[in-house]
Amino acid sequence: MPSDNPISDITEGLIKASVNLSIEKIESIIKGFKHKDIAFIKDNETINIVKEQQKAIEMKLYKQYIKDKSLLLLIKMGLTLRRLENHREKLEDLRDKIFRKFSVNGLHICELVQTGILSRYISILIERVISIEDLEREINIVLNNIERHTLFVTITSTSRTTLKLAFQSISLNNPSIFIISGSGTASKIIREIATQLRNILPHYELEKISTTNKEILFFKRKIA
Amino acid sequence: MELMSLNEVSVESKILLLRGLGLGGKEGLVVDAEGKKILDRYLQIPVKIDNMVIFPGSTIVLDNNELSITMYMEEFGEDALG
Repeated sequence: MPSDNPISDITEGLIKASVNLSIEKIESIIKGFKHKDIAFIKDNETINIVKEQQKAIEMKLYKQYIKDKSLLLLIKMGLTLRRLENHREKLEDLRDKIFRKFSVNGLHICELVQTGILSRYISILIERVISIEDLEREINIVLNNIERHTLFVTITSTSRTTLKLAFQSISLNNPSIFIISGSGTASKIIREIATQLRNILPHYELEKISTTNKEILFFKRKIA
Repeated sequence: MELMSLNEVSVESKILLLRGLGLGGKEGLVVDAEGKKILDRYLQIPVKIDNMVIFPGSTIVLDNNELSITMYMEEFGEDALG
């Protein structure tokens, strides 16, 4: 028996059929599309993932401190990358698209969120700043100048170059907090240089996050 | 608005649907009435028939990926996702 919702009847029939559609059905669907009653999607999975990130508590937290829509979009994509971590192919495809659209700095902002670094960074900042305005300013400074505040170690990096780059960047930019992050092979490099960096950066204290596959160093400038 | 999954629909039927919207299909890609490749609104990449998402209004054609759909939602609001 037909329901009160003719559009629903059409789509239910469609799913059950899984085959060629009759001309009448196609005409009916197109009519629904033109009346803005129907949109065509591949499947619900991608749409649901997008909606999940929009509603995520972490996203709501970031929205309190970040107003720039471009940054919020990248943060959302960072949460999406995290959501896709068990879907290797989709993860790599999305990383590639983010890189093509927003270049390396955009991807690095996403990675900062994906790896949980941004949330830890904010909690470190909370311990160091006095006002909400200072907190907002510091968060936006790091996201808008990510290359001065972070070093993402990759599979092609070496201990020597990583040490050199980190020291140069910290000496040049004098960041309040400097982050070094890497996973897989890169995490081994970070473990190798952590002590050396701590020794040559006496004005910074080191906080580490280590997992079996990930290594993150937070160099925090000592407060006088 | 209802989101209609085309995952189980044959390529032939998808092409007929595209024609009904004034578009078409060629070599697995969505094309316009003149046979030119339609590009994803946000990423400027060709859209495969097997991976297309089409929203009504201005007939917005997207590649099915989280970035394009998020950008669509940013532009048209969450309600635009049904």
